[in-house]
Amino acid sequence: MERRNAIFGIVLVVPLLLWLVITIGYPLVLCVKLSFLNVEFIGEIGSFVGFSNFVEVLKEDILWFSLLKSLVWTIGNLLLQTGLGFFAALVLNVNTKATRFIRSWVVLPWILPTVVLAIMWRWMLSGTFGVINYLLIRLGLVSAPINYLGSVKEAMGALVFINSWRWFPFISVLLLAALQSIPQELQEAAVIDGANGMQVFRYVTLPALRPVMSVLGVLGPLLTFNVFDVIWMLTQGGPSKATYTVPVLIYERGFKAFAMSEAATVSILSFVFLLVFVAVYLKLTRLNVGEYMEQ
Amino acid sequence: MLRVKVEVVKRFSLGVHLLLVVILVGFFAFPFYWILVSSFKPTEELIRAKPTFIPETFTLAHYRNLLRVSEYPSYLRNSTVVGLLTAALSTFLAFLSGYSIYRCEYPGKRIISTFVISSYAVPTTLLTVPLYSLFARAGLINSLWSLVLVNVTLTSPLGVWLLKAFLSSVPKEVEEAAMIDGASRLRIMFQIAFPLIFPGVAAVAMFSFVTSWTEFLFANIFIMNEFQKTLPVGIARFITQYNVDWGLLMAGAVLTSLPPVLLFAFFGKSFIRGLTSGATKY
Repeated sequence: MERRNAIFGIVLVVPLLLWLVITIGYPLVLCVKLSFLNVEFIGEIGSFVGFSNFVEVLKEDILWFSLLKSLVWTIGNLLLQTGLGFFAALVLNVNTKATRFIRSWVVLPWILPTVVLAIMWRWMLSGTFGVINYLLIRLGLVSAPINYLGSVKEAMGALVFINSWRWFPFISVLLLAALQSIPQELQEAAVIDGANGMQVFRYVTLPALRPVMSVLGVLGPLLTFNVFDVIWMLTQGGPSKATYTVPVLIYERGFKAFAMSEAATVSILSFVFLLVFVAVYLKLTRLNVGEYMEQ
Repeated sequence: MLRVKVEVVKRFSLGVHLLLVVILVGFFAFPFYWILVSSFKPTEELIRAKPTFIPETFTLAHYRNLLRVSEYPSYLRNSTVVGLLTAALSTFLAFLSGYSIYRCEYPGKRIISTFVISSYAVPTTLLTVPLYSLFARAGLINSLWSLVLVNVTLTSPLGVWLLKAFLSSVPKEVEEAAMIDGASRLRIMFQIAFPLIFPGVAAVAMFSFVTSWTEFLFANIFIMNEFQKTLPVGIARFITQYNVDWGLLMAGAVLTSLPPVLLFAFFGKSFIRGLTSGATKY
Protein backbone atom coordinates (compact mmCIF):
# COMPACT_ATOMS: atom_id res chain seq x y z
CA MET A 1 0.00 0.00 0.00
CA GLU A 2 2.73 2.43 1.05
CA ARG A 3 4.68 1.55 -2.04
CA ARG A 4 1.71 1.87 -4.37
CA ASN A 5 1.02 5.26 -2.88
CA ALA A 6 4.61 6.35 -3.52
CA ILE A 7 4.55 5.11 -7.11
CA PHE A 8 1.23 6.87 -7.70
CA GLY A 9 2.68 10.15 -6.42
CA ILE A 10 5.78 9.90 -8.57
CA VAL A 11 3.82 9.03 -11.72
CA LEU A 12 1.71 12.15 -11.21
CA VAL A 13 4.65 14.51 -10.97
CA VAL A 14 6.64 13.04 -13.86
CA PRO A 15 4.82 14.86 -16.71
CA LEU A 16 5.58 18.29 -15.27
CA LEU A 17 9.19 17.32 -14.54
CA LEU A 18 9.65 16.10 -18.11
CA TRP A 19 8.09 19.28 -19.45
CA LEU A 20 10.44 21.44 -17.39
CA VAL A 21 13.48 19.37 -18.32
CA ILE A 22 12.69 19.77 -22.02
CA THR A 23 11.87 23.47 -21.94
CA ILE A 24 14.33 24.64 -19.27
CA GLY A 25 16.90 21.94 -18.53
CA TYR A 26 17.78 21.13 -22.12
CA PRO A 27 17.95 24.79 -23.25
CA LEU A 28 20.23 25.49 -20.31
CA VAL A 29 22.63 22.77 -21.48
CA LEU A 30 22.36 24.01 -25.06
CA CYS A 31 23.12 27.53 -23.91
CA VAL A 32 26.28 26.40 -22.15
CA LYS A 33 27.27 24.49 -25.28
CA LEU A 34 26.65 27.53 -27.49
CA SER A 35 28.86 29.66 -25.30
CA PHE A 36 31.84 27.43 -26.14
CA LEU A 37 31.16 27.47 -29.90
CA ASN A 38 31.35 30.24 -32.49
CA VAL A 39 27.80 30.15 -33.83
CA GLU A 40 26.44 33.30 -35.41
CA PHE A 41 23.20 32.47 -37.18
CA ILE A 42 20.79 29.93 -35.82
CA GLY A 43 21.32 26.58 -37.48
CA GLU A 44 25.08 26.87 -37.90
CA ILE A 45 27.08 24.02 -36.44
CA GLY A 46 30.02 26.14 -35.31
CA SER A 47 33.32 24.92 -33.93
CA PHE A 48 34.69 24.65 -30.44
CA VAL A 49 36.48 27.81 -29.36
CA GLY A 50 37.06 27.14 -25.68
CA PHE A 51 36.73 30.11 -23.39
CA SER A 52 37.40 32.69 -26.07
CA ASN A 53 33.77 33.90 -26.09
CA PHE A 54 33.97 34.55 -22.37
CA VAL A 55 37.32 36.32 -22.72
CA GLU A 56 35.98 38.47 -25.56
CA VAL A 57 32.70 39.34 -23.85
CA LEU A 58 34.31 40.13 -20.51
CA LYS A 59 36.66 42.55 -22.25
CA GLU A 60 33.79 44.53 -23.73
CA ASP A 61 32.84 47.78 -22.03
CA ILE A 62 29.19 47.35 -22.99
CA LEU A 63 28.85 44.28 -20.75
CA TRP A 64 29.90 46.19 -17.65
CA PHE A 65 27.92 49.19 -18.74
CA SER A 66 24.72 47.15 -19.10
CA LEU A 67 25.39 45.33 -15.83
CA LEU A 68 25.59 48.70 -14.10
CA LYS A 69 22.32 49.76 -15.79
CA SER A 70 20.72 46.50 -14.64
CA LEU A 71 21.84 47.12 -11.07
CA VAL A 72 20.39 50.64 -11.10
CA TRP A 73 17.19 49.25 -12.63
CA THR A 74 16.91 46.42 -10.07
CA ILE A 75 17.72 48.41 -6.95
CA GLY A 76 15.58 51.36 -8.02
CA ASN A 77 12.64 49.07 -8.66
CA LEU A 78 12.98 47.18 -5.41
CA LEU A 79 13.14 50.35 -3.33
CA LEU A 80 10.18 51.99 -5.03
CA GLN A 81 8.04 48.85 -5.22
CA THR A 82 8.63 47.93 -1.61
CA GLY A 83 7.91 51.48 -0.50
CA LEU A 84 4.67 51.68 -2.47
CA GLY A 85 3.75 48.11 -1.51
CA PHE A 86 4.18 48.89 2.18
CA PHE A 87 2.16 52.08 1.86
CA ALA A 88 -0.71 50.27 0.14
CA ALA A 89 -0.63 47.33 2.55
CA LEU A 90 -0.75 49.59 5.61
CA VAL A 91 -3.57 51.69 4.18
CA LEU A 92 -5.58 48.61 3.21
CA ASN A 93 -4.93 46.86 6.52
CA VAL A 94 -7.47 49.10 8.22
CA ASN A 95 -10.86 47.42 7.95
CA THR A 96 -13.48 49.59 6.27
CA LYS A 97 -16.02 48.96 3.56
CA ALA A 98 -13.89 50.80 1.01
CA THR A 99 -10.66 48.97 1.80
CA ARG A 100 -12.33 45.55 1.68
CA PHE A 101 -13.52 46.37 -1.82
CA ILE A 102 -10.19 47.76 -3.02
CA ARG A 103 -8.14 44.89 -1.62
CA SER A 104 -8.76 42.56 -4.54
CA TRP A 105 -8.95 45.25 -7.24
CA VAL A 106 -5.61 46.77 -6.35
CA VAL A 107 -3.98 43.87 -8.23
CA LEU A 108 -5.20 45.22 -11.59
CA PRO A 109 -1.95 46.91 -12.64
CA TRP A 110 -0.20 43.59 -12.13
CA ILE A 111 -2.44 41.57 -14.44
CA LEU A 112 -2.36 44.22 -17.15
CA PRO A 113 -0.70 43.02 -20.39
CA THR A 114 2.72 44.61 -20.80
CA VAL A 115 1.75 46.05 -24.16
CA VAL A 116 -1.14 47.90 -22.54
CA LEU A 117 1.16 49.08 -19.77
CA ALA A 118 3.51 50.45 -22.41
CA ILE A 119 0.78 52.20 -24.41
CA MET A 120 -0.80 53.60 -21.25
CA TRP A 121 2.35 55.18 -19.89
CA ARG A 122 3.72 56.33 -23.21
CA TRP A 123 0.46 58.21 -23.63
CA MET A 124 0.35 59.63 -20.12
CA LEU A 125 4.04 60.60 -20.09
CA SER A 126 4.11 62.02 -23.61
CA GLY A 127 5.97 65.31 -23.90
CA THR A 128 3.29 66.83 -26.13
CA PHE A 129 -0.10 65.40 -25.16
CA GLY A 130 0.72 63.83 -21.81
CA VAL A 131 -1.66 64.35 -18.94
CA ILE A 132 1.17 64.04 -16.41
CA ASN A 133 3.07 66.95 -17.90
CA TYR A 134 -0.15 68.93 -17.96
CA LEU A 135 -0.81 68.25 -14.28
CA LEU A 136 2.78 68.92 -13.22
CA ILE A 137 2.80 72.25 -15.04
CA ARG A 138 -0.56 73.22 -13.56
CA LEU A 139 0.78 72.41 -10.11
CA GLY A 140 3.88 74.48 -10.85
CA LEU A 141 6.23 71.55 -10.28
CA VAL A 142 7.86 71.82 -13.70
CA SER A 143 8.04 74.82 -16.03
CA ALA A 144 8.13 73.13 -19.44
CA PRO A 145 6.90 69.71 -20.59
CA ILE A 146 9.45 66.91 -20.23
CA ASN A 147 9.73 64.06 -22.69
CA TYR A 148 10.42 61.50 -19.97
CA LEU A 149 10.96 58.41 -22.10
CA GLY A 150 12.95 60.29 -24.72
CA SER A 151 15.42 62.01 -22.43
CA VAL A 152 18.72 60.42 -21.44
CA LYS A 153 18.42 61.84 -17.96
CA GLU A 154 14.83 60.84 -17.23
CA ALA A 155 14.29 57.59 -19.16
CA MET A 156 15.60 55.16 -16.52
CA GLY A 157 13.64 56.85 -13.75
CA ALA A 158 10.48 56.78 -15.85
CA LEU A 159 10.90 53.07 -16.60
CA VAL A 160 11.54 52.26 -12.95
CA PHE A 161 8.41 54.17 -12.02
CA ILE A 162 6.29 52.38 -14.63
CA ASN A 163 7.52 48.93 -13.65
CA SER A 164 7.02 49.70 -9.97
CA TRP A 165 3.50 50.87 -10.64
CA ARG A 166 2.90 47.46 -12.14
CA TRP A 167 4.51 45.40 -9.36
CA PHE A 168 3.67 47.25 -6.14
CA PRO A 169 0.19 45.63 -5.97
CA PHE A 170 1.77 42.17 -5.95
CA ILE A 171 3.96 43.10 -3.00
CA SER A 172 1.17 44.86 -1.15
CA VAL A 173 -1.17 41.86 -1.48
CA LEU A 174 1.43 39.55 0.03
CA LEU A 175 2.31 42.00 2.81
CA LEU A 176 -1.34 42.63 3.53
CA ALA A 177 -2.04 38.91 3.89
CA ALA A 178 0.79 38.65 6.38
CA LEU A 179 -0.43 41.70 8.29
CA GLN A 180 -3.94 40.29 8.46
CA SER A 181 -2.65 37.02 9.85
CA ILE A 182 -1.30 38.71 12.99
CA PRO A 183 -3.72 37.89 15.80
CA GLN A 184 -5.32 41.06 17.17
CA GLU A 185 -4.75 39.83 20.75
CA LEU A 186 -1.01 39.73 20.19
CA GLN A 187 -0.86 43.46 19.45
CA GLU A 188 -3.23 44.28 22.29
CA ALA A 189 -1.18 42.20 24.70
CA ALA A 190 1.96 44.04 23.65
CA VAL A 191 0.28 47.40 24.21
CA ILE A 192 -0.97 46.33 27.63
CA ASP A 193 2.56 45.26 28.50
CA GLY A 194 3.57 48.86 27.85
CA ALA A 195 4.94 48.67 24.30
CA ASN A 196 4.71 51.86 22.27
CA GLY A 197 3.80 52.02 18.58
CA MET A 198 7.38 51.62 17.39
CA GLN A 199 7.94 48.64 19.67
CA VAL A 200 4.77 46.91 18.54
CA PHE A 201 5.92 47.37 14.96
CA ARG A 202 9.43 46.14 15.76
CA TYR A 203 8.53 43.11 17.88
CA VAL A 204 5.10 42.02 16.67
CA THR A 205 4.50 43.29 13.13
CA LEU A 206 7.95 42.86 11.61
CA PRO A 207 8.45 39.23 12.70
CA ALA A 208 5.11 38.39 11.05
CA LEU A 209 6.32 39.97 7.82
CA ARG A 210 9.67 38.15 7.85
CA PRO A 211 8.63 35.05 5.86
CA VAL A 212 7.07 37.12 3.05
CA MET A 213 9.87 39.64 3.04
CA SER A 214 12.53 36.96 2.78
CA VAL A 215 10.77 35.24 -0.11
CA LEU A 216 10.25 38.59 -1.84
CA GLY A 217 13.89 39.34 -1.14
CA VAL A 218 15.00 36.52 -3.42
CA LEU A 219 12.11 36.55 -5.91
CA GLY A 220 12.08 40.33 -6.42
CA PRO A 221 15.67 40.77 -7.62
CA LEU A 222 15.41 37.72 -9.90
CA LEU A 223 12.18 38.82 -11.54
CA THR A 224 13.25 42.45 -11.81
CA PHE A 225 16.74 41.83 -13.15
CA ASN A 226 15.31 39.73 -15.98
CA VAL A 227 12.60 42.14 -17.10
CA PHE A 228 12.85 42.68 -20.83
CA ASP A 229 9.45 43.42 -22.37
CA VAL A 230 8.65 46.70 -20.59
CA ILE A 231 12.06 48.15 -21.41
CA TRP A 232 12.02 46.95 -24.98
CA MET A 233 8.56 48.24 -25.75
CA LEU A 234 9.13 51.67 -24.24
CA THR A 235 12.72 52.61 -24.99
CA GLN A 236 14.44 49.67 -26.73
CA GLY A 237 17.38 50.31 -24.40
CA GLY A 238 17.69 53.96 -25.43
CA PRO A 239 17.85 56.86 -25.69
CA SER A 240 21.64 56.66 -26.23
CA LYS A 241 21.70 53.40 -24.23
CA ALA A 242 20.32 55.10 -21.11
CA THR A 243 18.21 52.01 -20.34
CA TYR A 244 20.46 49.37 -21.91
CA THR A 245 20.18 46.57 -19.35
CA VAL A 246 21.62 43.05 -19.61
CA PRO A 247 18.46 41.42 -21.08
CA VAL A 248 18.41 44.10 -23.80
CA LEU A 249 22.08 43.36 -24.54
CA ILE A 250 21.33 39.61 -24.82
CA TYR A 251 18.39 40.21 -27.13
CA GLU A 252 20.27 42.60 -29.39
CA ARG A 253 23.28 40.32 -29.66
CA GLY A 254 21.19 37.25 -30.43
CA PHE A 255 18.38 38.53 -32.58
CA LYS A 256 19.59 41.85 -34.04
CA ALA A 257 23.34 41.34 -34.46
CA PHE A 258 22.96 37.57 -34.98
CA ALA A 259 25.80 36.61 -32.69
CA MET A 260 24.19 33.63 -31.00
CA SER A 261 27.28 32.40 -29.18
CA GLU A 262 27.97 35.82 -27.74
CA ALA A 263 24.36 36.16 -26.64
CA ALA A 264 24.54 32.74 -24.99
CA THR A 265 27.78 33.72 -23.26
CA VAL A 266 26.25 36.88 -21.83
CA SER A 267 23.19 34.92 -20.64
CA ILE A 268 25.37 32.34 -18.91
CA LEU A 269 27.37 35.08 -17.21
CA SER A 270 24.25 36.86 -15.99
CA PHE A 271 22.75 33.56 -14.81
CA VAL A 272 25.89 32.76 -12.82
CA PHE A 273 25.79 36.26 -11.37
CA LEU A 274 22.18 35.73 -10.23
CA LEU A 275 22.94 32.26 -8.87
CA VAL A 276 25.73 33.66 -6.73
CA PHE A 277 23.34 36.29 -5.45
CA VAL A 278 20.70 33.65 -4.60
CA ALA A 279 23.24 31.39 -2.88
CA VAL A 280 24.57 34.23 -0.73
CA TYR A 281 21.07 35.40 0.05
CA LEU A 282 19.79 31.97 1.06
CA LYS A 283 22.89 31.47 3.20
CA LEU A 284 22.41 34.81 4.96
CA THR A 285 18.69 34.39 5.59
CA ARG A 286 18.85 30.62 6.20
CA LEU A 287 15.78 30.30 4.01
CA ASN A 288 14.86 26.81 2.89
CA VAL A 289 12.94 27.11 -0.34
CA GLY A 290 11.82 23.48 -0.44
CA GLU A 291 10.50 23.70 3.07
CA TYR A 292 8.70 26.92 2.24
CA MET A 293 7.03 25.26 -0.72
CA GLU A 294 5.84 22.35 1.41
CA GLN A 295 5.13 23.69 4.89
CA MET B 1 -13.33 65.73 28.46
CA LEU B 2 -11.00 62.82 27.73
CA ARG B 3 -13.86 61.07 25.94
CA VAL B 4 -14.25 64.02 23.59
CA LYS B 5 -10.54 64.13 22.94
CA VAL B 6 -10.42 60.44 22.01
CA GLU B 7 -13.39 61.00 19.72
CA VAL B 8 -11.65 63.91 17.98
CA VAL B 9 -8.45 61.92 17.49
CA LYS B 10 -10.46 59.03 16.12
CA ARG B 11 -12.34 61.25 13.68
CA PHE B 12 -9.10 62.86 12.62
CA SER B 13 -7.32 59.59 11.98
CA LEU B 14 -10.33 58.26 10.05
CA GLY B 15 -10.18 61.39 7.90
CA VAL B 16 -6.46 60.94 7.28
CA HIS B 17 -7.06 57.31 6.40
CA LEU B 18 -9.79 58.24 3.95
CA LEU B 19 -7.42 60.70 2.31
CA LEU B 20 -4.75 57.99 1.99
CA VAL B 21 -7.30 55.60 0.48
CA VAL B 22 -8.25 58.24 -2.09
CA ILE B 23 -4.58 58.81 -2.97
CA LEU B 24 -4.02 55.06 -3.35
CA VAL B 25 -7.08 54.56 -5.55
CA GLY B 26 -6.15 57.55 -7.69
CA PHE B 27 -2.65 56.19 -8.07
CA PHE B 28 -3.61 52.75 -9.34
CA ALA B 29 -6.93 53.48 -11.02
CA PHE B 30 -6.41 56.81 -12.79
CA PRO B 31 -4.30 55.34 -15.65
CA PHE B 32 -7.12 52.87 -16.36
CA TYR B 33 -9.68 55.65 -16.41
CA TRP B 34 -7.43 57.70 -18.62
CA ILE B 35 -6.97 55.15 -21.42
CA LEU B 36 -10.67 54.30 -21.26
CA VAL B 37 -11.87 57.89 -21.76
CA SER B 38 -9.11 58.59 -24.26
CA SER B 39 -10.29 55.72 -26.43
CA PHE B 40 -13.69 57.41 -26.83
CA LYS B 41 -12.40 60.88 -27.73
CA PRO B 42 -12.15 61.98 -31.35
CA THR B 43 -8.53 62.51 -32.45
CA GLU B 44 -8.89 66.29 -32.45
CA GLU B 45 -9.87 66.28 -28.77
CA LEU B 46 -7.33 63.59 -27.94
CA ILE B 47 -4.28 65.65 -28.93
CA ARG B 48 -5.45 68.96 -27.54
CA ALA B 49 -2.83 70.71 -25.39
CA LYS B 50 -5.32 71.08 -22.55
CA PRO B 51 -6.69 67.57 -21.92
CA THR B 52 -10.36 67.10 -21.15
CA PHE B 53 -10.98 64.93 -18.11
CA ILE B 54 -14.50 64.12 -19.26
CA PRO B 55 -14.85 63.66 -23.03
CA GLU B 56 -16.75 66.48 -24.79
CA THR B 57 -17.59 64.31 -27.77
CA PHE B 58 -18.05 60.58 -27.62
CA THR B 59 -17.03 58.43 -30.57
CA LEU B 60 -16.54 54.75 -31.37
CA ALA B 61 -14.50 55.55 -34.49
CA HIS B 62 -11.23 54.21 -33.07
CA TYR B 63 -12.80 50.86 -32.25
CA ARG B 64 -14.28 50.62 -35.73
CA ASN B 65 -10.89 51.43 -37.26
CA LEU B 66 -9.18 48.86 -35.12
CA LEU B 67 -11.49 46.06 -36.21
CA ARG B 68 -11.51 47.08 -39.86
CA VAL B 69 -8.11 48.48 -40.71
CA SER B 70 -5.66 46.44 -38.67
CA GLU B 71 -4.98 42.71 -38.39
CA TYR B 72 -6.60 42.90 -34.99
CA PRO B 73 -9.11 40.05 -35.50
CA SER B 74 -6.35 37.65 -36.46
CA TYR B 75 -4.19 38.70 -33.47
CA LEU B 76 -7.19 38.23 -31.25
CA ARG B 77 -7.85 34.73 -32.55
CA ASN B 78 -4.21 33.66 -32.12
CA SER B 79 -3.98 35.02 -28.58
CA THR B 80 -7.19 33.27 -27.63
CA VAL B 81 -6.06 29.92 -29.04
CA VAL B 82 -2.68 30.10 -27.31
CA GLY B 83 -4.27 31.28 -24.07
CA LEU B 84 -6.85 28.52 -23.93
CA LEU B 85 -4.39 25.75 -24.78
CA THR B 86 -1.91 27.10 -22.25
CA ALA B 87 -4.58 27.33 -19.57
CA ALA B 88 -5.80 23.76 -20.20
CA LEU B 89 -2.36 22.13 -20.28
CA SER B 90 -0.88 24.16 -17.47
CA THR B 91 -3.82 23.56 -15.16
CA PHE B 92 -3.78 19.84 -15.91
CA LEU B 93 -0.05 19.52 -15.19
CA ALA B 94 -0.29 21.70 -12.09
CA PHE B 95 -3.20 19.68 -10.74
CA LEU B 96 -1.38 16.37 -11.20
CA SER B 97 1.83 17.65 -9.63
CA GLY B 98 0.10 19.60 -6.91
CA TYR B 99 -1.86 16.51 -5.92
CA SER B 100 1.34 14.52 -5.94
CA ILE B 101 3.39 17.01 -3.91
CA TYR B 102 0.77 17.97 -1.35
CA ARG B 103 -1.21 14.73 -1.14
CA CYS B 104 1.18 11.80 -1.60
CA GLU B 105 4.19 10.59 0.34
CA TYR B 106 7.38 9.46 -1.34
CA PRO B 107 11.12 9.96 -0.95
CA GLY B 108 12.67 12.91 -2.82
CA LYS B 109 9.54 15.02 -2.67
CA ARG B 110 11.30 18.03 -1.23
CA ILE B 111 13.93 17.98 -3.96
CA ILE B 112 11.22 17.79 -6.59
CA SER B 113 9.26 20.72 -5.23
CA THR B 114 12.44 22.80 -4.94
CA PHE B 115 13.30 21.92 -8.53
CA VAL B 116 9.84 22.92 -9.74
CA ILE B 117 9.86 26.34 -8.10
CA SER B 118 13.51 27.02 -9.02
CA SER B 119 12.53 27.11 -12.66
CA TYR B 120 11.76 30.77 -12.03
CA ALA B 121 15.41 31.39 -11.24
CA VAL B 122 16.37 30.79 -14.87
CA PRO B 123 16.24 34.09 -16.76
CA THR B 124 13.74 34.02 -19.60
CA THR B 125 16.15 35.90 -21.85
CA LEU B 126 18.59 33.01 -21.36
CA LEU B 127 16.01 30.60 -22.72
CA THR B 128 15.35 32.61 -25.87
CA VAL B 129 18.48 31.66 -27.79
CA PRO B 130 18.53 27.89 -27.15
CA LEU B 131 14.74 27.52 -27.43
CA TYR B 132 14.81 29.30 -30.75
CA SER B 133 17.34 26.86 -32.14
CA LEU B 134 15.48 23.91 -30.60
CA PHE B 135 12.17 25.00 -32.12
CA ALA B 136 13.80 25.84 -35.45
CA ARG B 137 15.03 22.25 -35.66
CA ALA B 138 11.62 20.91 -34.65
CA GLY B 139 9.90 23.09 -37.26
CA LEU B 140 7.93 24.95 -34.60
CA ILE B 141 8.93 28.49 -35.57
CA ASN B 142 5.84 30.39 -36.73
CA SER B 143 3.67 27.82 -35.01
CA LEU B 144 1.41 28.75 -32.13
CA TRP B 145 2.44 25.51 -30.42
CA SER B 146 5.88 26.98 -29.73
CA LEU B 147 4.17 29.63 -27.61
CA VAL B 148 1.99 27.10 -25.80
CA LEU B 149 5.09 25.04 -24.96
CA VAL B 150 6.85 28.03 -23.39
CA ASN B 151 3.80 29.53 -21.70
CA VAL B 152 3.05 26.28 -19.86
CA THR B 153 6.61 26.36 -18.56
CA LEU B 154 6.13 29.93 -17.38
CA THR B 155 2.86 29.18 -15.59
CA SER B 156 2.63 25.63 -14.28
CA PRO B 157 5.24 25.91 -11.47
CA LEU B 158 3.36 28.81 -9.89
CA GLY B 159 0.16 26.86 -10.56
CA VAL B 160 1.40 24.04 -8.32
CA TRP B 161 2.09 26.56 -5.60
CA LEU B 162 -1.31 28.23 -6.01
CA LEU B 163 -3.08 24.89 -5.52
CA LYS B 164 -1.35 24.25 -2.22
CA ALA B 165 -3.77 26.21 -0.06
CA PHE B 166 -6.76 24.53 -1.68
CA LEU B 167 -5.43 20.97 -1.55
CA SER B 168 -4.45 21.21 2.09
CA SER B 169 -7.95 22.41 2.97
CA VAL B 170 -9.52 19.13 1.74
CA PRO B 171 -9.80 16.85 4.80
CA LYS B 172 -7.90 13.60 4.41
CA GLU B 173 -10.92 11.77 5.88
CA VAL B 174 -13.06 12.55 2.83
CA GLU B 175 -10.62 10.76 0.59
CA GLU B 176 -10.08 7.92 3.07
CA ALA B 177 -13.79 7.28 3.25
CA ALA B 178 -13.97 7.01 -0.53
CA MET B 179 -11.03 4.67 -0.52
CA ILE B 180 -12.73 2.38 1.96
CA ASP B 181 -15.74 2.36 -0.36
CA GLY B 182 -13.41 0.94 -2.97
CA ALA B 183 -12.87 3.99 -5.18
CA SER B 184 -9.59 3.99 -7.11
CA ARG B 185 -6.91 6.64 -6.52
CA LEU B 186 -7.58 8.24 -9.90
CA ARG B 187 -11.30 8.40 -9.24
CA ILE B 188 -10.74 10.00 -5.84
CA MET B 189 -8.43 12.52 -7.41
CA PHE B 190 -10.71 13.57 -10.26
CA GLN B 191 -14.18 12.99 -8.87
CA ILE B 192 -13.70 14.00 -5.24
CA ALA B 193 -10.64 16.23 -4.84
CA PHE B 194 -11.01 18.08 -8.15
CA PRO B 195 -14.54 19.45 -7.56
CA LEU B 196 -13.64 20.34 -3.97
CA ILE B 197 -10.69 22.49 -5.01
CA PHE B 198 -12.33 23.85 -8.15
CA PRO B 199 -11.88 27.54 -7.15
CA GLY B 200 -8.16 26.87 -6.95
CA VAL B 201 -8.14 25.12 -10.30
CA ALA B 202 -10.01 28.05 -11.83
CA ALA B 203 -7.46 30.46 -10.34
CA VAL B 204 -4.61 28.50 -11.93
CA ALA B 205 -6.41 28.47 -15.28
CA MET B 206 -6.99 32.21 -15.02
CA PHE B 207 -3.38 32.95 -14.11
CA SER B 208 -2.15 30.79 -17.00
CA PHE B 209 -4.49 32.37 -19.50
CA VAL B 210 -3.60 35.90 -18.42
CA THR B 211 0.15 35.22 -18.45
CA SER B 212 -0.11 33.74 -21.91
CA TRP B 213 -2.28 36.65 -23.06
CA THR B 214 0.42 39.06 -21.88
CA GLU B 215 3.55 37.20 -22.98
CA PHE B 216 5.67 39.26 -25.38
CA LEU B 217 9.32 38.14 -25.43
CA PHE B 218 8.86 34.67 -26.92
CA ALA B 219 5.90 35.60 -29.08
CA ASN B 220 8.04 38.33 -30.59
CA ILE B 221 10.90 35.97 -31.43
CA PHE B 222 9.17 32.73 -32.42
CA ILE B 223 6.50 34.18 -34.69
CA MET B 224 7.44 36.15 -37.77
CA ASN B 225 4.45 35.38 -39.93
CA GLU B 226 1.96 38.25 -39.72
CA PHE B 227 -1.03 35.92 -39.53
CA GLN B 228 0.29 33.92 -36.57
CA LYS B 229 1.16 36.96 -34.42
CA THR B 230 -0.44 37.41 -31.03
CA LEU B 231 -2.02 40.59 -29.70
CA PRO B 232 0.90 42.01 -27.67
CA VAL B 233 3.33 41.65 -30.57
CA GLY B 234 0.83 42.89 -33.13
CA ILE B 235 -0.02 45.99 -31.15
CA ALA B 236 3.48 46.73 -29.83
CA ARG B 237 4.60 47.63 -33.33
CA PHE B 238 2.30 50.61 -33.37
CA ILE B 239 3.81 52.13 -30.22
CA THR B 240 7.18 53.07 -31.64
CA GLN B 241 5.97 54.10 -35.07
CA TYR B 242 6.88 57.63 -36.07
CA ASN B 243 3.30 58.71 -36.68
CA VAL B 244 1.39 57.23 -33.80
CA ASP B 245 -2.37 56.92 -34.17
CA TRP B 246 -3.13 57.41 -30.50
CA GLY B 247 -6.85 56.77 -30.79
CA LEU B 248 -6.25 53.41 -32.42
CA LEU B 249 -3.70 52.52 -29.75
CA MET B 250 -6.07 53.46 -26.95
CA ALA B 251 -8.84 51.32 -28.39
CA GLY B 252 -6.37 48.45 -28.82
CA ALA B 253 -5.19 48.84 -25.24
CA VAL B 254 -8.72 48.80 -23.85
CA LEU B 255 -9.79 45.72 -25.82
CA THR B 256 -6.56 43.88 -24.97
CA SER B 257 -7.01 44.42 -21.25
CA LEU B 258 -10.67 43.44 -21.21
CA PRO B 259 -10.27 39.64 -21.01
CA PRO B 260 -7.77 39.69 -18.13
CA VAL B 261 -9.87 42.21 -16.22
CA LEU B 262 -13.09 40.23 -16.73
CA LEU B 263 -11.44 36.95 -15.75
CA PHE B 264 -10.06 38.63 -12.69
CA ALA B 265 -13.49 39.86 -11.72
CA PHE B 266 -14.66 36.24 -11.60
CA PHE B 267 -11.66 34.34 -10.26
CA GLY B 268 -9.59 37.04 -8.59
CA LYS B 269 -10.56 36.11 -5.03
CA SER B 270 -9.40 32.48 -5.32
CA PHE B 271 -6.27 33.59 -7.10
CA ILE B 272 -5.34 35.92 -4.26
CA ARG B 273 -6.15 33.23 -1.72
CA GLY B 274 -3.79 30.80 -3.44
CA LEU B 275 -1.11 33.44 -3.82
CA THR B 276 -1.15 34.59 -0.22
CA SER B 277 -1.52 31.24 1.54
CA GLY B 278 2.24 30.88 1.82
CA ALA B 279 2.56 34.35 3.22
CA THR B 280 0.11 33.89 6.05
CA LYS B 281 1.68 30.95 7.85
CA TYR B 282 2.30 32.63 11.16
